[in-house]
Amino acid sequence: MSIVSTENETTSEKIRHPLQVAKQLEQFKATIFTQMSMLAITHGAINLGQGFPNFDGPEFVKEAAIQAIRDGNNQYARGFGVPDLNIAIAERFKKDTGLIVDPDNEITVTSGCTEAIAATVLGLINPGEEVILFAPFYDSYGATLSMAGANIKSITLRPPDFAVPIDDLKSTISKNTRAILINTPHNPTGKMFTREELDSVASLCIENDVLVFTDEVYHKLAFDMEHISIATSPGMFERTVTMNSLGKSFSLTGWKVGWAIAPPHLMWGVRQAHTYIAFSISHPLQCGAAAALRAPDSYYVELKRDYIAKRAILVEGLKAVGFKVFPTNGTFFVLADHTPFGHENDVAFCEYLIKEIGVAAIPLSVFYLNPEEGKNLVRFTFCKDEETIKAAVERMKEKLSK
Amino acid sequence: MEGKLSRAAKKLTSSPIQELSHLAQRCNAINLAEGFPDFPAPLHIKNAAVSAINSDLNQYRHVQGICEHLAKIVKEMHGLDIDSETDVAICCGQTEAFAAAIFATIDPGDEVILFDPSYETYQGCVTMAGGVPIHVPLDPPQWTLDPRKLLTSITERTKAIILNSPHNPTGKVFTKDELETIAGACCSRNCLAITDEVYEHITYDNQKHISLASFPGMQERTIITSSLSKTFSVTGWRIGWAIAPASIASAIRNIHIIVTDSAPAPFQEAALTALRSPPEYFESLRRDYQSKRDYIIKLLAGVGFKIQFIPQGSFFLFAELPEDCPLSDVEFVKKLILEAGVVAVPGQGFFHTNLSTNETSSASCNYQKRYIRFAFCKSETTLAAVSEKLGKLLDVEGKLALY
Repeated sequence: MSIVSTENETTSEKIRHPLQVAKQLEQFKATIFTQMSMLAITHGAINLGQGFPNFDGPEFVKEAAIQAIRDGNNQYARGFGVPDLNIAIAERFKKDTGLIVDPDNEITVTSGCTEAIAATVLGLINPGEEVILFAPFYDSYGATLSMAGANIKSITLRPPDFAVPIDDLKSTISKNTRAILINTPHNPTGKMFTREELDSVASLCIENDVLVFTDEVYHKLAFDMEHISIATSPGMFERTVTMNSLGKSFSLTGWKVGWAIAPPHLMWGVRQAHTYIAFSISHPLQCGAAAALRAPDSYYVELKRDYIAKRAILVEGLKAVGFKVFPTNGTFFVLADHTPFGHENDVAFCEYLIKEIGVAAIPLSVFYLNPEEGKNLVRFTFCKDEETIKAAVERMKEKLSK
Repeated sequence: MEGKLSRAAKKLTSSPIQELSHLAQRCNAINLAEGFPDFPAPLHIKNAAVSAINSDLNQYRHVQGICEHLAKIVKEMHGLDIDSETDVAICCGQTEAFAAAIFATIDPGDEVILFDPSYETYQGCVTMAGGVPIHVPLDPPQWTLDPRKLLTSITERTKAIILNSPHNPTGKVFTKDELETIAGACCSRNCLAITDEVYEHITYDNQKHISLASFPGMQERTIITSSLSKTFSVTGWRIGWAIAPASIASAIRNIHIIVTDSAPAPFQEAALTALRSPPEYFESLRRDYQSKRDYIIKLLAGVGFKIQFIPQGSFFLFAELPEDCPLSDVEFVKKLILEAGVVAVPGQGFFHTNLSTNETSSASCNYQKRYIRFAFCKSETTLAAVSEKLGKLLDVEGKLALY
């Protein structure tokens, strides 16, 4: 049966190519992480770029997930989380912050913290609304906010200590600001927001009726000071979405189990978006996560100790090679200034480092709205076993000269 | 603080299917509502997942082998030649593949055509992206597509047509003629097609699922979405994909990375094993589901439901309330839960009143409250238990006496 259109076909506005990607996404190409990882593989470089461990998660967590598969927990989980996991998250949150939250109404389990951010932004931000970010920022924040059509205002944290410039923040935040996004401990700088900084942010948010979205995935990799959740500050729980995940604390980044904690009036928006983006997340892996979050304190003590040792190896090594290294108080990242080596910018330096030296790092320019601000900096990770870190340091000592 | 919700979120309501499930749980009802099996997933696939976890395949990954298997499968099933390097995006279930496809292609104000009744999530997603859902009704009782209704719904703002076949909730498998109609419309009006083919391997009576992308002129403008979930009874693993021309697949991949970063690593590995299943696996899947279909039709027709359309695919039966039943679908299901201890989904949640064809007279739309969706992806024990429970509520003529 042939279909003959009886309507007149084209006007000049109708010349539209169906294969055109939605406008706000045309700017996004493959992430810098993927690019650098591919380049690293091609050149056999040791990858200190992308932030995932080359060692695996604890056996007891994997066993719990395996048992869940064997027990038949392979169908759709409850959309906002397997009940036992929500309870485990609430218990852990209480231990860590003292805050008591309702597992069924104030916690939503998401596909990693990445999806918590996407669901929070899509559920709570309207096109055109203003959101403040601290640069350098993890690249998915900017991309997700662009997808939601947000108006992004960026405040730069500057070396050497990446302290929050309170005056900049005061002059940027206003009653037009919808939300501010905080990541502490901070990727890529390793900075931890201090009590004073968070108090300043809190009072400005209360004064201007601004929401806070906080990404705390590295909260168990806090080395030199206590991690503070802004939700614990007076007046803040009602306007904060606190996000976290399993991946970094338990070296299971590929499981994609994360969560958002928020009061019910904010959680509703997060849940709606989550339902349409993902519906529910992996059932057996949530069962594994529930076991993980009940780990004894000794697990976290050991985790911290291991990472502090790895940090020492990398930081000493980078300094010995000739980098200017900035102090990192948390996460498994460290920033270094590459300019002693005389390359044009961070991307050029990273390409040289991969191709000629055989080590991969991440150029920092992509973490800023204005790439110029990052051109002197590169990010190394120490979430690798000690032999790998030592080997990378050796390669750099051998071949990298000022 | 409710004022802080985004406009898009305010338009959305919570899933009626999930709410009914909660009621059913509280009443301990047999769940023929939610579309997932209560029998175990295939052992060889579970073993593959266990093995992946034990082999430390637990970090962020993209398992390219999945793309290669899919390329082989779509070639064998539909004759489509795709580039496994560029044309496939692995996502967290078909849900995410679909959401990413929508965000990749729909700008605010774009119209998107859906066939009514439709799975509730499609509209929610389109709305979230700022698109305008336009519902084209399929005509009961056979759920046929009237080409005029489709063509008159297409405007210069129409960006895409969504096609779910085999179809949830009716179990319809769109015919070759209907697919040609849709394909012709897409090509002549320069629209995209986004398909949901999750039930592609669950078809009956020797019906074959035909992918819209296999029609002339369609591959270059179609995004196919599907997943492991229904074919391999692992709805809780969240492994799905989108297949599309390279530029669109790339945009979908980028969005996937922004929104969820990676599909669960160990289950991607297990997907390789699943997708390598031999033809016998798929044959026995169809056979088992067909016998469940036949059982439930016999049971429900026997107690008075009107079943004028036999499902040709999916694991859903869209049964019409008995002629003399004065209750609406929602009232009926509530009674079914409370008195029979069985839960199903009232059909009205799948129908939309803002139909493109202006048929707003209550008579012609009355049918929207007369259908109930039963899922028969349940074990024989479960289905037999349903029979037993309903058996206790029959009148002298053997019909359900709930009203």
